[in-house]
Amino acid sequence: MPVLEDELSRTLSALADPTRRALLGRLAKADATVNELAEPFALTQQAISRHVHVLEQAGLISRTRVAQSRPCHLEPARLDAVEAWINEQRQMWAERYDRLDRHLERLQSRPAKRERKP
Amino acid sequence: MTEVAELNYRRVHRAPRELIFECMTTPEHLAQFWGPSGSTTPIDGITVDLRPGGVFETLMISEVDGSQYTMSAVYQDIEPPERLVWRESASGMVTTITFNDLGDGTTEVVTHQANVPAHFRTPAARSGFATSLDRFDAYVAALNAANPHQDA
Repeated sequence: MPVLEDELSRTLSALADPTRRALLGRLAKADATVNELAEPFALTQQAISRHVHVLEQAGLISRTRVAQSRPCHLEPARLDAVEAWINEQRQMWAERYDRLDRHLERLQSRPAKRERKP
Repeated sequence: MTEVAELNYRRVHRAPRELIFECMTTPEHLAQFWGPSGSTTPIDGITVDLRPGGVFETLMISEVDGSQYTMSAVYQDIEPPERLVWRESASGMVTTITFNDLGDGTTEVVTHQANVPAHFRTPAARSGFATSLDRFDAYVAALNAANPHQDA
């Protein structure tokens, strides 16, 4: 059943920001530290850190400690959950309107004067 | 900051929009098609109080295991036969259905769904958002393609 869970809400919210989507796009190519992520953006390292924190809370990235740095790593599983939800919604409406089509066909193939049981 | 997700779904049905609007707002019709697949929506489990602030509820019963799920919403806007808007209480999901008469006996039905979680539901938060689920779809697919799963 199409229930939007809190976790999914958080993921969708995190994805709604263009900077965070760009960060994910960067991480899709390779892991990167906050420093490396900040380079192409006209944002402070502090601002990037905040975005990274939101992405981490949303389960979209993870961070590990390697020597002195903590590189960010994309977690595609959460994206799969988003994609699954999108497809579920679209599928639900598609099937619903398929059934509506059949229902409309039945309604309109009846004689003009509809008979209803009292 | 912004939010969230949008779904746009467009269909053309071979019927006048008055009839389609009636189908979408009458329990005896809804019971015939509301679904979803694999579940039934008995007529006495459907509540349609067709006015802004009125309740729209559908009880869906799984054909597989008999489990039940109630979609509970409140109508926000009703403009027969053009527009129907309701908001699901649990998720904050707002569904807007627009019925366009194409003039040749067919009707275009556009379904728009957006979820705005409660903590984002402020005018400032709303002003920024314009991300469609369709674009999400492409975006997510591209991300996944760029970073395929490694099967363990």
